[in-house]
This record gives sequence, structure tokens and C-alpha cells, in this order.
Amino acid sequence: MRDPIPFGTPAWCAALRDEVNASSEYRNAAAKWGVGFNGNLLLDFEADADLPGPLHLFLALAGGRCERAEFVTERTHQETGFSLRAPFSLWREVLERRTLAATAILTGKMKVEGDKLTLLKHAGANRALIHCVASVPTEFPTPH
Amino acid sequence: MTALKKEFQAKVAGSVRAGGEVSPAQTTNFGHLFHSTPRLLLEPRGADDVVAAIAFARAKGLTLSSRGAGHSQSHVGVSDGGLLLSMVSMGRVLRVDADALTVDVEAGIAWGDLLRHLEPLGLAPPVLTNNLNVTVGGTLSIAGIGVASFRHGTQGDQVVELDVATGSGELITCGPDREPDLFWSVIAGLGQVGIITRARLRLRRVKPMTRTYYLLYDDARRFMEDARAAMDSGKWDHLESWASPSPQGTKPVNGRRQIFARWFFPFHPTVEFDPKSPPNDDALLAGLRPTEKLYVDDLPTYEFFARLAPVFDLWKRGGTWEHVHAWTESVMPWETTPDLLDALLPDLPPSILVGGHILLWPAKGTTSRSRLFMRPEGENLMGFGVLPAIPPQFWTEAKPMVEVVSRLSVAMGGKRYLSGYVDFTEAEWRDHFGPMWEPFVQAKHRWDADGILNPGFVPLDSRRPVAVPTA
Repeated sequence: MRDPIPFGTPAWCAALRDEVNASSEYRNAAAKWGVGFNGNLLLDFEADADLPGPLHLFLALAGGRCERAEFVTERTHQETGFSLRAPFSLWREVLERRTLAATAILTGKMKVEGDKLTLLKHAGANRALIHCVASVPTEFPTPH
Repeated sequence: MTALKKEFQAKVAGSVRAGGEVSPAQTTNFGHLFHSTPRLLLEPRGADDVVAAIAFARAKGLTLSSRGAGHSQSHVGVSDGGLLLSMVSMGRVLRVDADALTVDVEAGIAWGDLLRHLEPLGLAPPVLTNNLNVTVGGTLSIAGIGVASFRHGTQGDQVVELDVATGSGELITCGPDREPDLFWSVIAGLGQVGIITRARLRLRRVKPMTRTYYLLYDDARRFMEDARAAMDSGKWDHLESWASPSPQGTKPVNGRRQIFARWFFPFHPTVEFDPKSPPNDDALLAGLRPTEKLYVDDLPTYEFFARLAPVFDLWKRGGTWEHVHAWTESVMPWETTPDLLDALLPDLPPSILVGGHILLWPAKGTTSRSRLFMRPEGENLMGFGVLPAIPPQFWTEAKPMVEVVSRLSVAMGGKRYLSGYVDFTEAEWRDHFGPMWEPFVQAKHRWDADGILNPGFVPLDSRRPVAVPTA
């Protein structure tokens, strides 16, 4: 059992990158993700009762690998292909598998910037990515 | 006998049962997701009984629902404390006009029973559903699609005339040129404005034999190119196709290993023929590029119509007929169908298709005039259906996946086919009907002002809440 890593830290980002690159599930499901198009994602965690301030996670993704994972200061990032934005509480539901990311996107609860059709077309890649994020032992902020 | 039952029985010729006397099968439908008991159930003898039942329901402040073979999967064909009409008691063939090529039937007749009547005459309706045990009134209320729809449109497009008992209690004869607003509000109208009591259906002469080519494709896009070529060639009478899984082992999905499949695309073009002039196989198949030609099957045409009966029998004997059927059928734009298949098939466990299958039906959007059978713009369309049989104990687990299939198909430009399990919000219903929503609401108010007919599914009347699954 790995020790939980505080969410929002460089150490957590490094752990996520390693998780993605070690995952055969992601490697297979995302083999075509980011090939011929910009597959970099910005996951936007909006502040709510469970998160004191917003966090923006940038992931450089292509061909089933994660080249870079880092929290960035702005909601926009020039290298982003797609951004997914939701209140932190919804992200928790997704990461704890109480809500499917696809359902959150399709019901509009999770906002998408970028070509939604491309995102939906690669549903398996994004499902596998979410699984990787959920697999990182995480110490989430305590509700305030 | 309760006083209410006695009072109702005095007004109708058909048999009336109280809620406690209704068979368990009549408290649910093929979906096994909704379970509710009517206050009274009537097996009407004829249109007069239907009109009398509507008058009785209105006088007593009850809702009135209608049920054919009960093959729907949403809150359709069931009643929660209202009157329920079991229309299968109205199953007669009234008149065949072999010169005009029409047949008049009562609405509760099953398509298979109608075919048995027409077979000696060499006649058949142009479009037949795969399951012939469903009723004429039931499928006309949804639209009615089959493997000949790419040529002929829906079953609703084959209707010459209807007798409809409206929610206001009138019995009105209507057709495409006679009371057309009522007619087109009844065809694919989910029983919201009236109950069909009689239908005059168009017929065609059939050739005695069919030849079906069992072609197999390993690539969805090449299959679709050939399906479009087959539709455009004008050579074929019926086109049927599926997506079929070949299990390959297990892979992780959300961290849990599940069976995954390589998907193949069987395509079965069929032509009718006279035994004296059998089809020219090479000419028919010219230009098609299947991975493999598996089998060529000659079958008497009426047996072809019933070709899936052994499959349904197997599902019944295997017990999966009693499972939860949350079928998700959509009419997709041709252009986004490959994307939908790419998105859904890789993670779809083939085990959910035990007792079910995945349909792919090439179709032409131009063949139907139905106003309420919603389909995407475009000449070429693809019917796509994930038809699982889910053991009841797995329903809670499977439900999110079913919802994703539905919402993904809609997000990719598809329109749901409404006989399956539909869990729309009111906003989604409005989106589904688009510009037809307001006319549909107006039709409901005009012909069913009290909002008594078939509540619980499409929220046309704000006084009637939408039902939630009880499975």
C-alpha cells in the first residue's frame, strides 16, 4: 500500500505520470489519443466546499503515454487541446467511481472545451485516464 | 366484484378484471423495469368498448393506458391504478382487398397472425418487424421498423386509414388525406392522443422464395460502404446486419478485468425470387467486398419473415426473456456511426449480449413521411441498437452503461427509437422532438384535453408525472 500523496502537489503529478505510463490499460485504450490532433488535457477543478481554491491540472498526452503532468496557475494553457471543468465535488465522485466521467460530460455537468465529438469518440482512452487518476493514492483536501 | 368493476362491466361487452385479478405479466412489459397494477383491466371486444372505456375513465377521473403485446420497455403498456386496455382481444382480420392491395385489421392483431392469414393469398405488408408477436396497434404507435425499411420506410408509412378513439371519446376515421393532423399524431404518437382500433394497411405481392447471402466484414467502415452500395443498387428486398463479438480474453476496464471482443459485422442482404428464375449470385454480389462469404440460404418467403423466431424461442427457453431489457435503439447519422462504434464497442462486454444482440440497420431517411418518428437529417441513416438481456441483480450496475450508450448516441446526432428503454429528462424530450414538440403538445391538448391517455412516459401533460423504474 503506497502512502497517500497530497493532491495538488508536484509529487502527486509525478505519481500520476508514472501511473499512466505504467498502465497497459491506458496504453491500449489511448493508442490513438493525441495522434494527429492535440490530445493535451487541462482538468479544471473548481473550488467548492471541498476545495478552498481552484486547481488546474495540465496533462501532455499522446499515443498512450503521458509526457508531462503539472498543476498550472491559469485556467487556460496554450498547449491545451481539451479542457474539462467541473466542481471539485463532482471530480471526487468521478474519481471514486460514483459517477461515470462520460455521464458527467454527456449530461453537461462537466463542461468541455474542445471538440466534444473527438473526446466522445475516444471514450475508452478517457475512461482509462480517469482510472489512472483514481489509482494514485491521494490525500484530498479536507472539507472546510 | 367491486362496485366499480360491476359498474364498468355493465358498460362494455368485453371482459373486465379488477387489479387483483390481473396476471403478473400484465403488470409489467418486456423491459421488466416498470411494475404497476391497474385498477381495472378490460379486454375490449371492439371499438365501442374502447370508446366506452374512455368515457368511463373520464367520468371517474382515471387514466387509461393501452397495451398490445407489451413489448415496450419504458412506462408503456402498464397502468398504475388506472384503466388498462389489453388490446390483443381485438385481433381480427376484417377484410382483405386483393385488388386494392389493402387489409383492414383490428389493432390488437399480431403481425405474425396477420401473415398467416395473408400467406395463402401471396400477400404481405411491405415492412415487418423482426419479432412478429408484436401488435399492429403497438408498432404503429412507435413507428415500426424492419429489414425492409430502407426501401419502404416505417410500418406507419404503410397505413391507408385508421379508426382512432381519441382521449375526448370520439371515434374518428383518419388517414394521410383525411384528418391528417390526427393521423400523423397517432402514427408514432405513443398512444398520446388516441387509441387505434382499426387499421387499413397497404400490402404487396411477395415472391415465393428468398435468397439470403451471409456476408461477414471485419471492418465497420467497409461494411458501411457496402451497405450503402446495397441500398443504392435497388437490387435487394431486405437488408439486415449486426455487430457480433468474438471474445478474445480479458483486459482491464476501470481496473477490473473483463472479457473483451473483436467485433465483426455480419451483413445479410436478401432478395425475393420466383423458383423458375433464380437470382444471379454474381450479378447481385458484384461490387460488394466482404471479408468472407459464409453461406447462401434459400428459404420460403414466409419462413424468412419468421426467421428469428427460433432465436426468440431460445431466449425464452434459456430464461433471458424474463431478464431486464433496457434496449437502446437509435437512428444515427451515417457519418457519425463509425465514431459511435469506435467509442462503444471496445469496452462493451460481450457477456451482456447473452439473450440479446447489437443491431445495425442501414436505412434511408427519405423513405418515411412520419412526423413523430424522429430521425436525423440526411439521406443515409443507420439504425443502431444495443439489445441486452440483463439479469435483474446486475441492473443497478449496468444502468450507467445503458445511459451512456443512449446519451452518446444522442450526442453524436442520433435520435432514440422509442420502443426501448428511454430515461429522458423533460429537456431531453423537447430536444428529441425538436420542432415537433409544440405541435405534439397541442395535439395532446386538442384530442386528450384531460390528459388521461397513456401517462408516465412522454411528459406532454404537466399534470401527469413521469414514472420511475421499479426494477
